[in-house]
Amino acid sequence: MAARLFTKIAPSAKNGAAQYSSGVRKVTLIPGHGIGPEITVAVQKIFEAAKVPIEWDEVDVTAVRGPDGKFGIPQKAIDSVNANKIGLKGPLMTPVGKGYRSLNLALRKEFDLYANVRPCKSLDGIKTLYDNVDVVTIRENTEGEYSGIEHEIVDGVVQSIKLITEEASKRVAEFAFQFARDNKRKKVTAVHKANIMRMSDGLFLRCCRELATKYPDIKFEERYLDTVCLNMVQDPSKFDVLVMPNLYGDIMSDMCSGLVGGLGLTPSGNIGKNGALFESVHGTAPDIAGKDMANPTALLLSAIMMLRHLQLHEHADRVQNACYTVLREGKSLTGDLGGTGKCSEYTNAIISKLN
Amino acid sequence: MSLISRNIFRALIQGSQHVGKGVHTSAVNLQENVCHASQSISSLQSSAKEGRIKCTLIPGDGVGPELVYSVQEVFKAANIPVDFESFFFSEVNPTLSAPLEDVVSSIARNKICIKGILATPDFSHTGELQTLNMKLRNALDLYANVVHVKSLPNVKCRHHDVDCIIIREQTEGEYSALEHESVPGVVECLKIITAAKSERIAKFAFDYAVKMGRKKVTAVHKANIMKLGDGLFLRSCEEMAKLYPRIQFEKMIVDNCTMQMVSNPNQFDVMVTPNLYGNIVDNLASGLVGGAGVVAGASYSAECAVFEQGARHIFSGAVGKNIANPTAMLLCSANLLSHVNLHAYSKMIKNAINKVLSDGKVRTKDLGGQSTTKDFTYAIISCLS
Amino acid sequence: MAVRLFSKLKTLPEIRAAYASSAAAAAPVQLSDFDLQHKTPVIRKQQLIPKAHYGGRHAVTMLPGGGIGPECMGYVKDIFKYIGAPVDFEVVDIDPTVDNDEDVQYAITTIKRNGVGLKGNIETKSEAAYVTSRNVALRNELDMYAYVLNCKSFPGVETRHKDIDIVIIRQNTEGEYAMLEHESVRGVIESMKVVTASNSERVARFAFEFAKRNGRKKVTTVHKANIMKLSDGLFLETSRRLAKEYPEIEHNDMIIDNCCMQLVAKPHQFDVMLMTNLYGSIVSNVVCGILGGAGLLSGRNYGDHYAVFEPGTRNTGTAIAGKNIANPIAMINASIDMLEHLGHHFHADLLRTGVNAAINVDRILTPDLGGTATSTEVVDAIKRNISENH
Repeated sequence: MAARLFTKIAPSAKNGAAQYSSGVRKVTLIPGHGIGPEITVAVQKIFEAAKVPIEWDEVDVTAVRGPDGKFGIPQKAIDSVNANKIGLKGPLMTPVGKGYRSLNLALRKEFDLYANVRPCKSLDGIKTLYDNVDVVTIRENTEGEYSGIEHEIVDGVVQSIKLITEEASKRVAEFAFQFARDNKRKKVTAVHKANIMRMSDGLFLRCCRELATKYPDIKFEERYLDTVCLNMVQDPSKFDVLVMPNLYGDIMSDMCSGLVGGLGLTPSGNIGKNGALFESVHGTAPDIAGKDMANPTALLLSAIMMLRHLQLHEHADRVQNACYTVLREGKSLTGDLGGTGKCSEYTNAIISKLN
Repeated sequence: MSLISRNIFRALIQGSQHVGKGVHTSAVNLQENVCHASQSISSLQSSAKEGRIKCTLIPGDGVGPELVYSVQEVFKAANIPVDFESFFFSEVNPTLSAPLEDVVSSIARNKICIKGILATPDFSHTGELQTLNMKLRNALDLYANVVHVKSLPNVKCRHHDVDCIIIREQTEGEYSALEHESVPGVVECLKIITAAKSERIAKFAFDYAVKMGRKKVTAVHKANIMKLGDGLFLRSCEEMAKLYPRIQFEKMIVDNCTMQMVSNPNQFDVMVTPNLYGNIVDNLASGLVGGAGVVAGASYSAECAVFEQGARHIFSGAVGKNIANPTAMLLCSANLLSHVNLHAYSKMIKNAINKVLSDGKVRTKDLGGQSTTKDFTYAIISCLS
Repeated sequence: MAVRLFSKLKTLPEIRAAYASSAAAAAPVQLSDFDLQHKTPVIRKQQLIPKAHYGGRHAVTMLPGGGIGPECMGYVKDIFKYIGAPVDFEVVDIDPTVDNDEDVQYAITTIKRNGVGLKGNIETKSEAAYVTSRNVALRNELDMYAYVLNCKSFPGVETRHKDIDIVIIRQNTEGEYAMLEHESVRGVIESMKVVTASNSERVARFAFEFAKRNGRKKVTTVHKANIMKLSDGLFLETSRRLAKEYPEIEHNDMIIDNCCMQLVAKPHQFDVMLMTNLYGSIVSNVVCGILGGAGLLSGRNYGDHYAVFEPGTRNTGTAIAGKNIANPIAMINASIDMLEHLGHHFHADLLRTGVNAAINVDRILTPDLGGTATSTEVVDAIKRNISENH
């Protein structure tokens, strides 16, 4: 059972960013469902105005029936991402019911996206109770509690297996340290619960310690999961980059976005062996779809992350500054941020600030 | 084969009926002293004869002993009829530690215990996977952990009027201590969820909500991913909820729950969680109202109650510096007193804590003051009335 | 061996399924009066629910009921607080004037999850056929098939007979109280009496088990099998059959009318008495009368999983409600029984000594026992005695 997952993990490839040369890059664009199309259009408009050297390759991932009779992503979309190695994705909705594979899960599997990165930074103009948050959560994305290996041993007793492998732990730890170095971060905190799960989290912790020796310029510390929770809500400035196994990452990343104003403002990137996929993690909000009311910030910030991943730092800075300025001025904010602006007004405001 | 299984099936059904019979005869069994004749006072709580109550005391590691000392001082000053039976119990110091059996039998006898924090090292020299805390819980079957997170007067925090009760299952789930390395470099850790324990904790949560006059119970889970394990937990909660038509029942996915907790904690009332999520939510909520030093908790089995801090941190950096905040431990002791029906004393300590905090003159370092643990304790003592 | 284990595993879900289906069958659907009366299963399958027992404290459902119930419950709460009994009450008020069963259903649910209840007498004002007596509904719904009434003389209460010590065990869920009545022809009403072998056996076994464990010598089955040859005959046969399993306990039987006469004339011949529903009602009231009235004795209802404690004679006492003259002893005795049942022997003994001293030594009695004290004076006397003895 474990071997099944184990074989998936081939020797880790270096963070793929370096291989990309400058020039026009082709990026697969998955608009998604619900408000997805509107906010991708907004991002496209902003990027066009900022003259970002990116060519969009838009694909539709509406589920089609595969040869095995199950619904899944169309082959064309997979081919596109495989060719471009990089993608931007709006929110996806997985229809409830049998025979539908989760599209998110399928994409994650297809590209072996092993690390999920979510920077949470307090934004000027967005009032929350916390104003000094600047943390990045890096989450192992392929194993741990989400191994999907569960069985009912006897009636009424379920056993789920949490799987921690050395390969995957090292891979994500290395990514975390490299990320910290690339983004001029000071400190990496490994979040664990090795006092209770002494072997599994212990293994994860050992891998982090091992990698820490290879990055002497980055400060390394270990914290218990519960301590991090406690301290995070008291003083988030204590933390910088957090690296952790799957479930903890899932919980911590959502909690951190709660600190800065919700999922509508947090970008997210998934880094994999075969490419990288940037996405907005909020829902599809079908109730406001098509009404020009959606907030494209999360997707825009994700796209900016993508630019940085492609080493297009100049363009990234320009778009980012424009976006932050608009948020700080707070004039054309969308309804979810307490404003009255439309999605298109917000987009135009950002475009006008580009120069 | 099918014949055998059918026969056994029948036998089992009959067996299950006999179980029913067994229960009713046990009901009879409880009626041994049916006569109204006066009986000698039972030996169940012989100490209560003199009107004094015995309580097991585990100072714990880190700042635990300092905080426990503060409780003892207050008890002495208020002349509270409680005698402590103290045990040094520690995992980091195994040679000095009292044996588990002694501690367990003391708690089982006294039925109440006040406990500092036990440090849990990342590894044990003997390759033991269970921590001492887990062993104690399992030995006494302390399955329910209750943390009442409530904003205290004049403690500056970002959130106000937080008032929620977090109930956590703490004998199974991720804390099963079943781990093995199947292939070198691949570790499997088993998470066990059983229907019986899930139902038990769900019932506890609802009963607690009824007792405290609460309106809503929220089950925290991750059943969208762990469909079987957390699914079972969730189903058990749903089943139990049917027995409590006057209490609202809600479900929330754990990651969303943490996000809601930091942005809008006032929406929560009573929460029921499996083991690990409970640990996370406990600490998170404690952070919202002022940190580990001000939140009291308790663990319950059917028979015993162990009172301990809500968020367990040994705070080793403060050992011997006389700066730890004893509020949580004092609140624990007040809860203990009301548990054994000494309501007047309990009120007295609670009022004193509220008074000292609202005056705001004496504050420990974690609340932005400069006072020492001793100062705070004496301030409480002077406010006892 | 392995095969056996394997098949065991396989059958477990089936048992669960069987339980589930039986629970589903018992679920209330839209039923007509007829369905309600004729198709309600006599023995209800009860699912096991974990008991409300935490940190040494029990949660108990309290149903104050009507009449003097609420004031007596107040005294019980007061005394429990005084002695520090580790019991938390969940009070459920049932509105007697409402026609629907919502409150009663809720009360039943709370007893199911707490396992134990303390109740006064619940009034049923409605006379519509579909509204069953709430007391009966409660017993049937919870399948509390055995009712136990301990009748023991209080030396402090003036009565004709001294030193009586009788235990009455009564079948509680069927017999004449099956509530199956209909008008077959105009002016002719038939009322059905139901006796089943399984229920008779359960209650008989309970009686003998009780006698054995409490060191009793004799069980007397009370019946009217000379007239009702089949129904009471079955009940009598069953108890005779079970008596053979308990050779150390003497067993005899007595016809109900004779029994009543013997009770008032020579009550000392009785030890444990076993009977069907209606006879139980009659006999327990007779014995209560012999011992000094409705206000003293407490009764216990037992099922396989639940126990409910109440004053012995099941009278509401609406006439004396609110006048501070009701006798609180019955309810307090019921609460002592409850403490015993929950295993809190220390507190039960404490309270029992207090009650006995107040009645037998200090002779603080309410008017129904020939005294002049008010209810609150009795309660205060009990409290005083507890603190003196303690």
